[in-house]
Order: sequence, then structure tokens, then C-alpha cells
Amino acid sequence: MAYFLNQIFGSITPMCVTALVTMAITLIFKTSFTTNFAQGVISAFGSYVTAAILTQKGVPMWLALILGMLSSMAFAVVIDVVIFRRGRYVNALGKQIITMGLISIIVGAIPLIFGISVPVIPKFIEGSYQFTAGGKDVIITKNTILSMVVTAIVIAVIFILLRFSKWGLSVRATASNEYIAGMMGINTHIVTAVSWGLAGALGALAAVLNASSGTTIGIYFMTNYQVYAFLAGILGGFATFYGPVIAALFIPLANNLIQYIVNVLGMPELTGWSMVIVYALALIIIFFKPQGIFGKKIARKV
Amino acid sequence: MNKYLSQNYAFRKASDRANYSSEKKLSDYLKNPNLHFVFFAIAMCVVAYLSVTKVLPYSLQTGLAITFSYAISSIGFCLLMGYSGLASLGTGGFIGIGTYAVYYIMGESGLSLGIAVLVSLGVAILIGIIVGFISLRIEGIYLVILTLGLSEILRNLYMVIEDSISVSSIKIFGMTLRRQDSMYLIVIVLSLIMIVTNNLINSPTGRAMLAMKNSTAAAQAMGISLIKYRLMAFVICTAYSSLTGVMLMVCIRTAMASNGTGFYALITSLNILAAVIIGGFKSIWGAVFGTYIMYGIQTTLLNQIPFFQKNPEIITFISGGLVIIVVMFYPGGLAQLLTELKGKLKGLKARIKEGIYGKDLG
Repeated sequence: MAYFLNQIFGSITPMCVTALVTMAITLIFKTSFTTNFAQGVISAFGSYVTAAILTQKGVPMWLALILGMLSSMAFAVVIDVVIFRRGRYVNALGKQIITMGLISIIVGAIPLIFGISVPVIPKFIEGSYQFTAGGKDVIITKNTILSMVVTAIVIAVIFILLRFSKWGLSVRATASNEYIAGMMGINTHIVTAVSWGLAGALGALAAVLNASSGTTIGIYFMTNYQVYAFLAGILGGFATFYGPVIAALFIPLANNLIQYIVNVLGMPELTGWSMVIVYALALIIIFFKPQGIFGKKIARKV
Repeated sequence: MNKYLSQNYAFRKASDRANYSSEKKLSDYLKNPNLHFVFFAIAMCVVAYLSVTKVLPYSLQTGLAITFSYAISSIGFCLLMGYSGLASLGTGGFIGIGTYAVYYIMGESGLSLGIAVLVSLGVAILIGIIVGFISLRIEGIYLVILTLGLSEILRNLYMVIEDSISVSSIKIFGMTLRRQDSMYLIVIVLSLIMIVTNNLINSPTGRAMLAMKNSTAAAQAMGISLIKYRLMAFVICTAYSSLTGVMLMVCIRTAMASNGTGFYALITSLNILAAVIIGGFKSIWGAVFGTYIMYGIQTTLLNQIPFFQKNPEIITFISGGLVIIVVMFYPGGLAQLLTELKGKLKGLKARIKEGIYGKDLG
């Protein structure tokens, strides 16, 4: 029981990070109609900025986080305004390649700006709660709880805004048909730019949460989560906003649960295979439900 | 008017040839694309020889060997994307099939390279068939992400099986291939692949694939079996990628799966995709040149310049910018740029002729 709970608590931070990155990728997918391969490195950029601010001045952590998010946000908005606004009639594959070009630009720029030293982000709060279950200790760090609360609040606010605000309405209109939304008087340029900015900020938040849980920061350290997010996107179905986010929660959870099951069944040598099993399961589900679990089937003219 | 004139010239040239030259001239033979590939192979072998004997910088052959290894999978991707209209991000994972085949067949069992190639092709064909079947149900961006997932499965599998692999000696036909001689083998394989692919593109198979790309419904109506050609496209692409893995193992000899920028990472698949886009996704030469820009230009050309040697990050930075510019302004890639230049040159020639001989009223 204690082992089970530890596995669950251990997967909370990855769940939060994946959910935030997925939200960012879904926002960009719905408004710019492309899968943003650069999301991982844009997020990493935010965490680099946060770490740089933390080392150079004695600023509080929350301020550094906000500044990091703002810098990532500004960066993403610049990307949209300078590149995607001009290239909006490039075909789908071309847009993907543009985001791929962005990866190279950022990967080249980060060592130029921040040098080659590995930055460090400490925990937001030290300490942990401990209780016993079935005679064994269960540990949950305060940092994990903080990550969970922050993520829950951020994602809840975004969903509420999407559902009830005027901005949310214009995002949904742009997502369903950009051209007609423009004709109806919605400034789709601003909608797209705000989506990119939001995605950049969410990515930076995810990266900082990930780094503060003990992961080493590197240029590619968010790429794994980006891949999870893509998978979550098609697993949940890009047709809705909530589908991918729900699917995103399940991927890290399933990973840790499979590790638990494998160990309980007495096959600890299979622990390394957990991610393979998760991917395989996801692909099987997608194979039988190509539109995703929450997706709608879209009829198409021949 | 100008365009009409140049068309007229072209027409007359063609008719002249039909009338007067029943016997082929040497220049006609030289126009055969297969011969170009052979010339290319010979030229590159000379470059390799000069590089090994240190007349040219030694780093040249390493850079070119890596470029040409990746170029094999770029050509496969060219066929998949430019001719069948499918896309995949599985290249990284598929490359692993080749590297692990070399590791297990040669490093562990001590057999010849030929057997490793056969085994890797066998496994690649199997996986290609699986992906092909998936592609019948799922299309577009979803297929891209799905192949990305498949590639990640393979990468995780490699990490679990044997994270870091290396082979000490490569044996081929009973001889041991030295590391600096690997470029000869790679160039020969690449030119063979180019010849095979070029003939495939110009055969009924290639035309069927093009039809399938432009409209699946129309292609089916014309009696083209979707399943057959999709499977074929994916099998070829996967097989070429696994061959890339074999060749990379021949020239680099070590690989590590958990490396975030290694052979099997997402970045490899994206780089191959970018190479094909930069080169122009319907041109074999374009694919090779695009691969050179992505993989070779840094080691072979820019590192000779002290400024770039000091700041290697700038090259990554510039190549990213280049990719974006090509996609936004030259969607046909560098091949399109070349065709446009050729057209302009032709127009210029016609205008000069007009200036010298007066207007052609014929």
C-alpha cells in the first residue's frame, strides 16, 4: 500500500508538467493549426531565464518564475508575429518544419546567451509530509503539493476563461474556422498571438516546476514531455480542449502504475519497459479510435 | 512573348532531333540520370581518397560519410513525402534497427556485414508493413505523431535492451574495413540507392504513388490499390532508414540510445524532414544536398573558418533560420530555386539570341 501511494505521489509532478505542456500545445494546435515541435525548447528557455535571475540577484523565487514566464511569453509572441503571421498560408507540413527550424535557432541561441554552465533551480519549499500506511512510510514533498495546486489553479483559470470569457469565445471561433472567424470581426491575429504567448508562459511554468522537482536543466530536457503531450493530444483528440489535458494526466500515471503492477507481480526486471508498454497501449487505443477518446468524427467530402 | 519564344525554341529543338539524328550523340548518353549518379560516386571516391591521404582536410571524409549515411534515409523520405504524400517522424527509431543489427550480428556473433544488412532489412520491412497498415486508418498530422510514438517505443526499447553499443571491427567479404575507408562503402551504397530510387520514381510504381498523393479517391477510382502502394512507400522508407543505421555504425561505430541528441532522438527525424524540405521534396539531388546542409556543412566547410570554429552554436542558429526562410519563401526547396534559375538563364539566352540575330518570326 505504501509503495502504491509513493508511486502515485511520485507521478504528480510529471502529471502537472505534462498537463501544462499539453495545454500549451493544444492552444497552438487549435489556433495556428500546427504541432509546435519547438514547445520543449521554448519552455527550456523560460527555465534558463528563471535560473539566471535566481543566480545573479537575491530576488524571491516567485518573482524569478514570473519573469521567466514573461520572457518565454514575449519570445513566443515574437515568434508568432514575425514568423507565423506571415506564414499562415504555408501548408501544414511546412508549418511543422518552421517550428523545427525554431528549435535550431533556440538551441543555437541558448549557449550564446546563457553560456554552457548547467543552471540550477532549487525547490520552492523545502520539507515534506510523512505518514505511515501499512507499516511503511509514505513521503510527499511540499514542493509536489505546491506544483499540484499551482497547476490546478492555472489550468482551471484557462478553462473558465475559454468557456465563459469573450477571449475564450474568440479562441474557440478561430479554432473552428480561422477564415470565417476573421470575417465575423474577430481579430484572429491577436487571438493567435495571445495563444502563443500563453503557451510560452505555460511552457516556462512547466519547465520550472520540472526543474524544481530535481530534474537537471538542459536544452532538451523538456522534449520528453513534449512527446508525451503530442501523444496525449491524439489520445484525447485535438477536437476538444479538455480531451488532451485529461489524456496528459494519464500518461505519467500509467507509467508509474505499470511499474507498480510489474513489481507486485514479481517481475522487477520489467520496470524499464514501463514506458514502452504505455506507448504501445496508447498506440493501440489510437489505432482503434483514430479520432481520440474524446474526439468527434468529422465527416469529409470526397 | 518571351515565354512563347523560348517554348518555340524548345519545340524546334525537339523536332530537329527527331528528324536529323537517328543515331544518338555522346551528349545524349551523358544526359542519362543514372550515369550522373555513377559520376557522383566516382567523384566522391576520389574526394575520399584525397582526404584519407591528407591532400584534402581529413575531417572532410568523416563529415561526408555521416552526410551520405543520412542521405540514404533522406532519399527514402523524399519518396515517402514527395511521391506518396505521407509523412513520418519515425526515422530516428528506424535507424536503430540498422545499428542494432550491426551490433548483434557483427559485434556479438562475428558474422559479415552483408548478413547484418539482410537482417536489418528484414526487420525494417516488417515494421514498415505495420506502419503502412496504420497509415490506412490514420492520416495527416495524426499519422506523423503516431510514427513519432512508434519511434519513441523503439528508442525506449533500445534503452532497455542495451543502452550503449559499439563494434570494434567491420568485416565485409572476409576483409576488415578500416574506419577511414568507410566512406567508399557508403558512397557506393548511396549511389546504388539513388539509381534504384530514380528508376522507381519513373516507373509505373512512381506514377501510381504520385496519383495517390494528389487524390486518394481518384487514384482508387483508377484502379490503384491504396494498400499496396502505401505499404510499399513505408517499407522502402523504413528499409532505407535502417540502411542508414548500418552505414552510421560502419563509420561511427558507437551509438547511445539515451542520448537526447543521438541517432534515435526526435531531433534526427526532424533533421531528415528538414533536409528533404530544404532540398525540395521531389528531388533526389535536393535531398542529398539538404542533408549536407543539415549534417555535413558544419564539419566539412564552416569549421575551416576560425570564426565558426570558435562559436559552433552560430551554425545551428543560422541553419534554423535558413530552414524557416526556405519554407516560407521557397516551398519547393532549393530544387525549385535551381529550376527557376535555369528558366531565367534560358530566357536570357533567348533574349541574347534575339539581340544578335533579330526577332524570330518563324
